Amino acid sequence: MAPKPSQKKIKPLSSKATVVKLETQPPRPSLNTKKFNPLTAFKVPSSSRKSDTDLPCSSQTSSAGKGKARALPNLRRQDAEDHDDRMWVDVYEPTTEAELAVHKRKVEDVRRWLHEAFEGGPSGTLTKYRRILALTGPAGTAKTTTIRVLAREMGFEIMEWRNAVGENTLSGQFDDPSEFSFGTSDSSSSRTYVPDGEGMFSKFEAFLNRASSCQNLFTTPAPSHVGSFSQSPPTSASTRQRHIILLEDLPNIVHPATQAKFHAALQSLVSSPVSATPVPVVIIVSDTGVRGEAADEQMDSGRGWGKSNDGLVDIRTVLPRDLLGGPYVTQISFNPIAPTLMLKALQAMLNTHFAGSSQAPPSREILDAIVETANGDIRSAIMALQFACVGEMNGKTRKKKGGDKGKSVLLASVTRREQTLMLFHLLGKVLYNKRKGDPPNASASAKDVQKEKMLDAQIKDPPGLPSGLKQHERRASRINVDALYADSPIDSSLFSLYIHQNYVQFCDELDHCDAVADWLSWVDSSGGDTWYQANPHRFHLLTLGTMHSLPSPVARRSQKIVKPVFFECLQKEKDAWGGVRDARGWALGDGTSQTDLRSGWSHAEVAMELGGVLKARDAVMDSALPRPPASHRRFSSLSFALGAPFGHTQTLDETEVNVPLDDSEAEVLVRPTRKATEAEEGGWLDSDDIEEF
Amino acid sequence: MSLWVDQFRPRTLDSLHYHHGLSARLKSLASSGDFPHILFYGPSGAGKKTRITCTLRELFGPGVEKLKIDQRIFLSPSKRKLEINIVQSNFHIEITPSDAGNYDRVVIQELLKEIAQTQQVDLNAKQRFKAVVINEADSLSRDAQAALRRTMEKYMSNMRIILCANSTSKLIAPIKSRCLLMRVAAPNPQEMEEVLNYVAKRAPFTLPPEAAKKIIDDSGGNLRKAILVLEALKMQSPDLSGPLAIAKPDWETYCYKVADLIVSEQSPARVMEVRAKFYELLSHCIPPTVILKTVAERVVEKVDESLKADIMHWAAFYEVRMRLGSKKIYHLEAWVVKVMSLYKHFFYDMDMSSFD
Repeated sequence: MAPKPSQKKIKPLSSKATVVKLETQPPRPSLNTKKFNPLTAFKVPSSSRKSDTDLPCSSQTSSAGKGKARALPNLRRQDAEDHDDRMWVDVYEPTTEAELAVHKRKVEDVRRWLHEAFEGGPSGTLTKYRRILALTGPAGTAKTTTIRVLAREMGFEIMEWRNAVGENTLSGQFDDPSEFSFGTSDSSSSRTYVPDGEGMFSKFEAFLNRASSCQNLFTTPAPSHVGSFSQSPPTSASTRQRHIILLEDLPNIVHPATQAKFHAALQSLVSSPVSATPVPVVIIVSDTGVRGEAADEQMDSGRGWGKSNDGLVDIRTVLPRDLLGGPYVTQISFNPIAPTLMLKALQAMLNTHFAGSSQAPPSREILDAIVETANGDIRSAIMALQFACVGEMNGKTRKKKGGDKGKSVLLASVTRREQTLMLFHLLGKVLYNKRKGDPPNASASAKDVQKEKMLDAQIKDPPGLPSGLKQHERRASRINVDALYADSPIDSSLFSLYIHQNYVQFCDELDHCDAVADWLSWVDSSGGDTWYQANPHRFHLLTLGTMHSLPSPVARRSQKIVKPVFFECLQKEKDAWGGVRDARGWALGDGTSQTDLRSGWSHAEVAMELGGVLKARDAVMDSALPRPPASHRRFSSLSFALGAPFGHTQTLDETEVNVPLDDSEAEVLVRPTRKATEAEEGGWLDSDDIEEF
Repeated sequence: MSLWVDQFRPRTLDSLHYHHGLSARLKSLASSGDFPHILFYGPSGAGKKTRITCTLRELFGPGVEKLKIDQRIFLSPSKRKLEINIVQSNFHIEITPSDAGNYDRVVIQELLKEIAQTQQVDLNAKQRFKAVVINEADSLSRDAQAALRRTMEKYMSNMRIILCANSTSKLIAPIKSRCLLMRVAAPNPQEMEEVLNYVAKRAPFTLPPEAAKKIIDDSGGNLRKAILVLEALKMQSPDLSGPLAIAKPDWETYCYKVADLIVSEQSPARVMEVRAKFYELLSHCIPPTVILKTVAERVVEKVDESLKADIMHWAAFYEVRMRLGSKKIYHLEAWVVKVMSLYKHFFYDMDMSSFD
């Protein structure tokens, strides 16, 4: 955020020039009468820019300045008065666990992990396996803040890697400068600018090595150490200072070579024996949404190579696959902040902020609107709230009524985080196939009925079809396909999988099924072999086709929308192919004992024809014969059970925003959310369980 | 101990049991000094690969049987590593490019170029060229086939390509026109019986003719399958007498049961059940086209005469779509729903007419 000169006047939203006195602002004669502009209100006036609070890389703010803060009120009034021009996210950063708006269980998970990493859990052996913690989740879900709060509470230091881009940042790379001498001024002249990623990466490696092995030389914080940790209660001088390594600003992982080196560095870190003072690594990865189109199609072929060149950083690019599935890495995924928790947090923050002030806090409606538009991103919510309060002051001089409404419109337009339609609603819209003139829902209130009527009035009826096509005539749909497409959180391929999984229960007759199935089949097979030949209209075609085919109105019989089992099938198939390869190797001979290698046996032949012999061999139990590998049962044995559904179907939940991401990449071995929820449901893992990995 | 199929596989053209005309032609080709690129095609279990190995032996002598397995690593355009197993002797090399999935073009290009650019250094070698055997040529992607076509022209002096495919329909015309096409037909029952008796003699045991007949009936011209079934049977009941229950592979019985499901009830709920079964089959590595074919054949057996043509028509229709599309389950299911709807309408209409 480049400091905008505060004199620059963008036309204020109210035409009347307003004089604003920020009561908490220190008197600044040159600035205290100026037109207040909401867009620049957050910018630090250049005169106060000297303060180091906004330099993101200075060691002073490195713990708070990240802005990841899930702010909860922190009674630091003098702070707030001195620096009211700071972001609330920084001012009200939570300092105790109680202030975090994260679900208690999540925090507990992280705390337990850290505890085990330092102490080794109940049996004392867990340190070996608690090497890397990966925190994932959407932006603004308090991943970093949780770690910082726990650092304060549990008394350990955070060493954080920052990619240096210049002199300024170089000295602030490490939170504890005493530990990394090369970041200090004597060498910084030679390191002011490192143009190539090569040098950058070797520095990263050095950081990792030293941070993980050398820290016990410094048992007490150096005197120069005045940063964020001064607030954390120093552990008693006799105990060793504990550290963690925080990797959030990762090296350029999108670059394949760097990624390989990064993976290698992590591997060696994990494989190195754990020292007496373990230094666990915490990696924080914010999920980014994917909205691909044709590129995602290749992914379905089960080989998943379309992903790699997307430049998308997610947990699977950050961590090598074997590590991610291995015992040394624990993944904890944060969910979007629940609206109730967020509301509570915001309310509490407002209470602190407006305590003892003459200003009235923003109305409840505004708060609700903020929570709604934030989509579980508490950082954006706090930003919006701060903005709203500024606007409040602005509106004060105007008439009280009417300002509220205008403000919420303004608020929505300014702060609204790009909001995607929830998957659940998207599917509901398509599958319930509402058309103009549908009878209103039995439970709908009179107001809703009225609203529906209003909407219907705006929908134009299509011109009638010629008599030969009468069977295709439908009433005008209430669904605007273009809008649906614009808001869809998933790409057409995944969308089609969801439709496929769920359409049957919305059909009354077989003919309806027939039509939808044919559309699915047609849409899937349209387009060419390669991605650039893919049909760009798949989404539209599928939506329109589905809605055309489904009965209207769709009978309500408490249908449950289910996640597609397609990926589960794909995963099982992959495992089974492993079995096929084993069996093929067995049939071909391993090449050592046999002088003549046998060629032949394609994989498909093994899968289809070898089953009988393998079963016979298993049944005979003759020790003279070489046993076929047991993994062959993954493809050769198939028992027919009527009524047993494939795998376990998961019902799609209204609150799940994140579903598509997990599933669209489910060809990858690890399915993060499911694992996480299972772990939650299954209660604590004992150390014994973990040894079995 | 290896499987009988491999153990008793004929090694020379002379010892082949059937298609003697074909053997004679291959033999004269191998000795002519002007060996072309060859494309072997025919149903599975007909003996294509056996004939290829025999031909190679005829070309290069017994040295071709000294095989070794190499693991080669190729780099895909996006710098992903592909590990491909290559079976090779001093004279030939055998690859299955479909192992590399989408990247088969890379494998074809790199490997063939490398082979083509190296001359045969063994002065005692009978031929000046090396042979490249490409298995499962019909699953090569378009790109790979185009790459192959170019290579076939360019490096003719150093290399001959032997393709092995089930059907020529998926190969592009330029490749077909550059090869000598050799069709290896499935053996007839007499020939199969001869082979089974030969296997029994080598094993050794006596094969009762009824058992042989049963196996042959069941195998549908697939000799490999017949020998495998024979081996499995022999393991289960060593004397091969009495009533023999030929154990079909699980997936086949499964497919039959799916067909029964389709015929017994037609409703949206049944569609879901059938889908679950299809998922189960797919996750056991059964190729979707095979599933469609097996289920369709079984359904056709069970329905009224007037429906059979339609059902097969739609099976073919959705099979094409399956090849074009990426999510096989859609097309399988679309076919099932179509069949159910046809079947239901058939009965519905019949009821109406009898009512009149």
